[in-house]
Amino acid sequence: MNLDLLGNLIRLRYRLLWAKTRSRSGKIALFMSGYLLLIAVIALLAAGGLGAGMVAVRTGRATEIAALVLFVVYACATIGTVILGFGMNAIFAESEMRRYPLGARERRLARHIVAMLDPYWYLVVGLDLGLLAGLHLYGAGFFLSGAVAVLLLYVCNYVTARLLSTIVERLVARRGGSILLMVLITVLVLGQSFLITYLQKHPHAAGPYLAWGKWTPPYGAALAMTRPDLSAVWGLGLILLWTALLGEAMVALERRPPRARAASSGKLQWGSRYERAGAFLGPQNAILIGQWLRFFSRNNRFRMTTTISLPAVGYMIYAFTRQPGLAHGPKGAFASAMGVFAVVGFIGTAQFAVNQFGYVGNGLRRYLLLPADPAVVLRSCSYTFALLDAALIVAALVVWPFVSRGPFDPLMILLLAGCSLTGMFLFLAAGLWTSLLAARRGNYYSSFGNDLSFAGNVILIGGVMGLLFLPPIAASRWPEVFRSGYWWVTLAAAALAAGIYRLSLDRAGAWFRARRERLVAIMEGRS
Amino acid sequence: MSSAILMRNLAKQYGTVIAIEDLSLEVPKGAMFGFLGPNGSGKSTTIGCLTGLLDPSAGEMEILGQRFTAESVDLKRRMGVMPETLGLFEPLYAHEFLAFVARMFGLDEATTRTRVTELLAALELTDTRKTLAEFSTGMRKRVAFAAAVIHSPEVLFLDEPFESIDPAGVALMKQWLRRFTEQGRTVFITSHVLETVERLCTAVAIITRPGKLVWHGDITVLANDGSIEYDGQEFRALEPLFLHLTGQHYADLNWL
Repeated sequence: MNLDLLGNLIRLRYRLLWAKTRSRSGKIALFMSGYLLLIAVIALLAAGGLGAGMVAVRTGRATEIAALVLFVVYACATIGTVILGFGMNAIFAESEMRRYPLGARERRLARHIVAMLDPYWYLVVGLDLGLLAGLHLYGAGFFLSGAVAVLLLYVCNYVTARLLSTIVERLVARRGGSILLMVLITVLVLGQSFLITYLQKHPHAAGPYLAWGKWTPPYGAALAMTRPDLSAVWGLGLILLWTALLGEAMVALERRPPRARAASSGKLQWGSRYERAGAFLGPQNAILIGQWLRFFSRNNRFRMTTTISLPAVGYMIYAFTRQPGLAHGPKGAFASAMGVFAVVGFIGTAQFAVNQFGYVGNGLRRYLLLPADPAVVLRSCSYTFALLDAALIVAALVVWPFVSRGPFDPLMILLLAGCSLTGMFLFLAAGLWTSLLAARRGNYYSSFGNDLSFAGNVILIGGVMGLLFLPPIAASRWPEVFRSGYWWVTLAAAALAAGIYRLSLDRAGAWFRARRERLVAIMEGRS
Repeated sequence: MSSAILMRNLAKQYGTVIAIEDLSLEVPKGAMFGFLGPNGSGKSTTIGCLTGLLDPSAGEMEILGQRFTAESVDLKRRMGVMPETLGLFEPLYAHEFLAFVARMFGLDEATTRTRVTELLAALELTDTRKTLAEFSTGMRKRVAFAAAVIHSPEVLFLDEPFESIDPAGVALMKQWLRRFTEQGRTVFITSHVLETVERLCTAVAIITRPGKLVWHGDITVLANDGSIEYDGQEFRALEPLFLHLTGQHYADLNWL
């Protein structure tokens, strides 16, 4: 193993991280504050783990509670990487690594070690270590074996996330793979929902499911953290076994080259379905919208996010209107649904709407060479997202009567449609500005990795979290506002949001003209 | 003869860095004009200004006798551009990309299909199973060239058009460009392949860093075994003249 070269690559990864920030004036302070924030979050998470450790000891079921906490962290970290792309920004592709004097095994190790040292994983380790410290402080933890377990679990978690991401990526890249993925997720999500409902009614049936949990890596780590006997060795062995199995599967998958989608025949196909779809928003926009639709429809990440968004929306409607902590009574449930429907208005295209030109690369130069006002190009892209978002809104409104609780009132549809349109217009308006002022060059061919700027992430994650959790909280404080008699309020809000969107389109067009040189430099990797 | 391209005191600055300095140049209609200079001398920046991609810091530009700015949409319709970075949409197939460009330049659907099919056949881009991302560099250049000419522009800007293209492709492109200028249209080329420029262009301008014009004139004499006099010296080819004007550097690395 060429450790010198590996060290150099890790240093280069952090230098690149630093250079990205340094190249933008005034961003150094933001970078520093970002890292301070990260440290604060790690401390906070560690404290959370500490508290969990304390609870685990006090209840006298340290192993079970520690296993539960570790399992939740493990699952959240895995979902965070697959859905949001955190911790998956592999800075060096296999092809790039081939220029260095490294063997195949060394290249693979170097790539994964560099990826594992992504700051995201520090958060996961922080929380696990916090739990260990909590257990140790309250006398139920064994620090040395526990620390080894945390490190092994971290590696196992990374390998799980990477394997799952690769499977999803390969699936989406195949013809019909997106549909298959959607079906799989729907089955998984609905199965989980039905299982929870079933177990709530028949708690005694949970035994076999909990017994399976004893064979998972988090349970192994919990054993190593809380047992002084041979169970700790068994626990560590269990994690190692999982890591080896998953690692072997990951390597086997990576060795198989991805199958590229190919045209079905050698004939030229002049299909104009994209242009026909684009013509919905006026013939003057048809060609550009058609071009955007064609461009995005061939992007694995786009296909994956839009595909996942359909079952995700169904699940959100189902789960958030039944969440005991959020939906107090029918009003609370409906307030939750309003929040969910506002998210439905943009979730399908959100990752792209906040960074419109992020994946066009040199193509941005082409758009600016066309005999068209740059503002038209900006608008057409935003309209494309609006078109797709509108389709998702309609689908969600059709699903609503079947999953809603309580008596159905047709006015509810108007109310929810108003919420969705408000969410869509406001998010698209914010997306225009982040696309211009906080643009980042993404990798079109990578299905994973978080390519968004800090502002883009704030708008996306903050928007989703705020809309999911604020309405039920508001409903518990001011229940009288959430009556169907106030249906017109959401429509008025939608009209206001449309006005803001319209204004943003006009203003952002002028900003795009003024900032086009800078944006081209960013997208061509020169800034 | 009226001018196809006119620059008056053109300047472009990035902060304190000067990319083009007080550049004035006239390119007559129907000319095959070579715009030469060493790396980083401002050739692509000049083309960027002339095609509306960049806003000049000072100076004026005219294309086909009309004042040109980034907002001159009607003038853009009469221009064809092959940028150095090609500006392709990589996940598209060649015919989809060309059809999009053609439609944006105002060609109707039937004409678009005819021209795209003919261009793809002429440029031997017939592998319809590959997206642009899967094409070789030379094939991608051919596609970018096809996109520049598909709407029969009156002025053509080509930034490094011949690099990476095989000799047969270069010969075809040169044949098309010659016919293009014979019809009174104008070609503005930047290239580092001086032999090709010497054989193809009727006039050239040479700039040095930072975007400063050092020489421009007719070079047709070179094709007829004549010579160009400059600085009391005679130059029988473009390369020695270029090296004389832009400076020639030698570095001896004993380990190399």
